[in-house]
Amino acid sequence: MNRRTFVLAALGGIAATLLAIKAVPGSAWAANRVQQYRMRFLRPPGALPETDFLSSCIRCGQCAEVCPNHCIQYFDLQSGVEAMGTPYIIPRQQACILCMKCGDICPTGALAPIAHTAEAIIDNVAMGRARVDESLCLSFQGKTCGVCYRACPLPDISLRVGRLEQPHVLDQCVGCGICERACIQMPQAIRVIPDYS
Amino acid sequence: MHEPKLTAAPTLRRSLWRHLNKLRWLTLIIVFTMLALIPSISLYQTYLAAHAYDLLTPSQQQFYDIMALLTSWFTQHPLKELDAIKGNTWSATLFGLQLSDPLAVLGQLAASLQLYWPFLLSALIPVLLTIIFGRFFCGWICPATLIYEMNSSLSVWLRHLGLISGEQRLDRRLKYLVLIVGLALSTAFGSVMVALIYPPAIIGRELYYAIALGGFGSGTIFFILTLLFDLLVARRGFCRYLCPGGALYALLGRYRLFRIQRRVEQCNDCGKCNAICEFSLQPMRDDFGQECNNCTACIAICPTDALHFSIRIRDQAGQGDGYLGPKYRQSRREADQLKKESGL
Repeated sequence: MNRRTFVLAALGGIAATLLAIKAVPGSAWAANRVQQYRMRFLRPPGALPETDFLSSCIRCGQCAEVCPNHCIQYFDLQSGVEAMGTPYIIPRQQACILCMKCGDICPTGALAPIAHTAEAIIDNVAMGRARVDESLCLSFQGKTCGVCYRACPLPDISLRVGRLEQPHVLDQCVGCGICERACIQMPQAIRVIPDYS
Repeated sequence: MHEPKLTAAPTLRRSLWRHLNKLRWLTLIIVFTMLALIPSISLYQTYLAAHAYDLLTPSQQQFYDIMALLTSWFTQHPLKELDAIKGNTWSATLFGLQLSDPLAVLGQLAASLQLYWPFLLSALIPVLLTIIFGRFFCGWICPATLIYEMNSSLSVWLRHLGLISGEQRLDRRLKYLVLIVGLALSTAFGSVMVALIYPPAIIGRELYYAIALGGFGSGTIFFILTLLFDLLVARRGFCRYLCPGGALYALLGRYRLFRIQRRVEQCNDCGKCNAICEFSLQPMRDDFGQECNNCTACIAICPTDALHFSIRIRDQAGQGDGYLGPKYRQSRREADQLKKESGL
């Protein structure tokens, strides 16, 4: 066996093994990564499902460079080496304003390009969904507030208010997190539950 | 065989090619400056978008003023038009044109096992340039090279002071193994692992972290370790023996068109090129191979202009001693002597 055959055979062997590992659902390496994350964060708008996102993102950092709201941050090692260098958003610190610039600049399609129109955003962005904690929300305590509704970029589409400005999250919530950022309660009474799928 | 005149003085008209090395340093410095400027611009744009100059701290206001001054030469609408230049050498968007490192494309391909055409195309220009110019990225653009070369100079100073500096010789092919293992790990973890061990990608990210996010990340630790590796184990050791991107560029540039070659007639065997070569190649012995990154340091230092760029897809086979060198002249003298004696 000469060197060339050996190298080719070795490469073929490695590739076949890896494909086999990837193909087996639920194998150790392809396991559900979302469960490893110990913090609540959002991926930028238009992100692929988490497994695809991790395999597509090349950690170039352009999404944050183009974000005018400075809301995108990057993981170091705190969420595992697979997620190192990938972008995340903590809505309570700085929420996404749905400008859709990150999807436009993303070279790999890990963040899908989405038109900057309400319809396209409603249809394609699924960062998560807001959830109201009624025991914390001022409006549910009888003190009319409505701050989340005023902050919402898609009022009456994602979030509507009832009596005493009590917020009710609708199905079309895209999870941008501006309501969570705006909430005047401490801790916040409305939070975005991330959707990584 | 070509008979050289032994008495001829070296040509005094120096070639302009020897100034290429200065141009290269300029390019490296410009690239590095841009890598620091782009995050600064990004930060400036967020300040602009926030419309809250008076809420900035005094140092942030200073930063804002400097950036406003710098960018005012180029654009009146910084918030919109400065989006034209984003990214780093790993992947960048320049005036709508997306360029990516071939390793980024390969790594992403290995991780996702899917083709995404726009991204593949973004590596087209770098790949074509590499096929023509070989590992030119390593010598001319890579932001790590700037630091690594300064690190080599540091190791020279350390040696002058009598401190240790690494002169280990490892196998050059080690980096191909690193490339293959990196890609295999990318596939296995479903995540672009090569991005985490590739110095230019690390520098691009870490500069953004440091400038816009307020602190270096752990990639910096990795990079410092590579600097120590270079100091203690081998000069430019990471680039020569471990860098996965260097491996890919070397493979792509194996049959590059532009390569530095030696004119044996003009070579005087002084050995300066062998000493200056950052990659410990031996230009004086026609040993360039796929490792040469066309940095032109050897051209710059050659006292007789024996080294020059030529267009050919393979190196010249070893040409032996330089005709102006003492060894060759000695052998010629002996041959002449022999001829004279036999003629008698």
